[in-house]
Amino acid sequence: MSWIKEGDLNLLEKISANVLKAGPMPKHVAFIMDGNRRFARKKNMERQEGHMQGFNKLAETLRWCKHLNIPEVTVYAFSIENFKRTKEEVDGLMELAKQKFERLLEERCFLNVCFAYTSRYEITNAVREMAWGVEQGLIKASDVSESLLSECLYSNNSPNPDLLIRTSGEVRLSDFLLWQTSHSCLVFQSVLWPEYSFWNLCEAILQYQLNHKSIQKARELHQEHQALQQLEADRACVAEHLQHHGNGKPADAQRRQEALLHYTACREDRVQDFLEALKHKRNSFFSDLCSKPVLA
Amino acid sequence: MALLYGLLWRLLLLLVHVNTALVSWLRVRLRSWKGRLWERAVAALLLPVALAGFPDQHKKLNHNPDATANPVTGNRDDGRRARWLSDGKALEKLPVHVGLLVAEEEPSYSDVANLVVWCMAVGISYVSVYDNHGIFRKNNSRLLEEILRQQNLLGVDGSKYSIEFLSNGSDKHNVVSCRPTVKVLSPEDGKQSIVQAAQQICRSVENKERSSKDISVSMLDVLLRESKNIPDPDLVLKFGPVNSTLGFLPWHIRLTEFIERWYCPTSLWFR
Repeated sequence: MSWIKEGDLNLLEKISANVLKAGPMPKHVAFIMDGNRRFARKKNMERQEGHMQGFNKLAETLRWCKHLNIPEVTVYAFSIENFKRTKEEVDGLMELAKQKFERLLEERCFLNVCFAYTSRYEITNAVREMAWGVEQGLIKASDVSESLLSECLYSNNSPNPDLLIRTSGEVRLSDFLLWQTSHSCLVFQSVLWPEYSFWNLCEAILQYQLNHKSIQKARELHQEHQALQQLEADRACVAEHLQHHGNGKPADAQRRQEALLHYTACREDRVQDFLEALKHKRNSFFSDLCSKPVLA
Repeated sequence: MALLYGLLWRLLLLLVHVNTALVSWLRVRLRSWKGRLWERAVAALLLPVALAGFPDQHKKLNHNPDATANPVTGNRDDGRRARWLSDGKALEKLPVHVGLLVAEEEPSYSDVANLVVWCMAVGISYVSVYDNHGIFRKNNSRLLEEILRQQNLLGVDGSKYSIEFLSNGSDKHNVVSCRPTVKVLSPEDGKQSIVQAAQQICRSVENKERSSKDISVSMLDVLLRESKNIPDPDLVLKFGPVNSTLGFLPWHIRLTEFIERWYCPTSLWFR
């Protein structure tokens, strides 16, 4: 039986979905599923029951996303900060997560779950990986760039979220995907997560569509800027190199241009090799983890 | 069928735009009707707690006697300043750092300057101004002039405030300062700063001054604060129709609260 609840949208929902799909749709949506505890308090339930409802709502939301042709979803389930909750609650959440996510493996969709996650740690880890690359002699410190840092994040296999939705009325990012959502559409909704409805999702997507052009423009501006900075950085490295290895005479424009192209190509090769090595390191980490005997 | 849905979608967007324009227009009209009372309410609204969860205090501020002058000094400017300060003190919590995120194509310098001066007058220590085109950064002298002009207009004592513009070099000025500070930020202060800090760390690893294993969140945090000597923003006020941070200080906005005035450009906010 599928965990992502089967079942179609009703007629009105179907029509609304089709109307929305006529416009630009986000390809990656991130959710901060906030409000389970408040919901439990409101309904006089145990906190655990609130979290259970939250998980059910996640299943329902994934179904809606499937119908809306949204191929990738990232959710913020549990931050390191949340471990400061009572042991009982933390254990309960862990058990629930284990049950639900085991069944999820049977589905074929991209769901990224951020578990015991903070963005600052993720960014720091990316810096650490790049430093490791430098230590191993795979890359130089001057190869460090915004795009390289992005490639070293845990989320490097996914595009940046187009839309970030936070429920329960809180208007903070709470250390979630701070780097990746710099040019995402942010929608803060006051509904509690277990009460999230298809219409709330449509409202958020509509917001995305209204902001789409301006955010796209801002993203392109940023990318242009990034490319320019990379070019400047490469030029500076080449100039330094020519100064050290030149014969005292200033290099002519053609030689500089050739040197620049050569340098850029070498840098890109270095970076590719480093990323391969990083991928290998991460895969080994996981396979080692899985091969360890499971203690009863 | 696809054509029909396409048309319906355009209609939907049109309806939303019409609704937004109507709401903005109504807001402006309400403001001109309420006059001074609204002015003070808006001043109170700028402060985060008043806007979000403290309706009682908001009402309290609105019900203060609508005097045009402080009964003690009789002077209009002193009266206004005293009122601002008391408005600030009436709230339980004041943000230390307020960010103004201007997501408009053509930002209004006078309105932004106005807001900066109001924030500082109420007792906010740091105010930062950001736009993703770097317009304010490029024209920081114009912004500075405008802020000074607004200070004079509003009768605020200019000597108490220092205006610092963030540059890419390290900010060796005062670490502890009692003077309210204005920072003008641009996208370079965001991801690019993080990258620069990362490069610095990697260079020291290259020079065998440290190992990659030594790198921690606090190390990166300290490095970032060396070059940008400002506390994390407690609150960001977003202006303009775009619902995005547009690259504003990604590292620093971990716990920042975002208040947006939907589709309301700064010019409408103030009229």
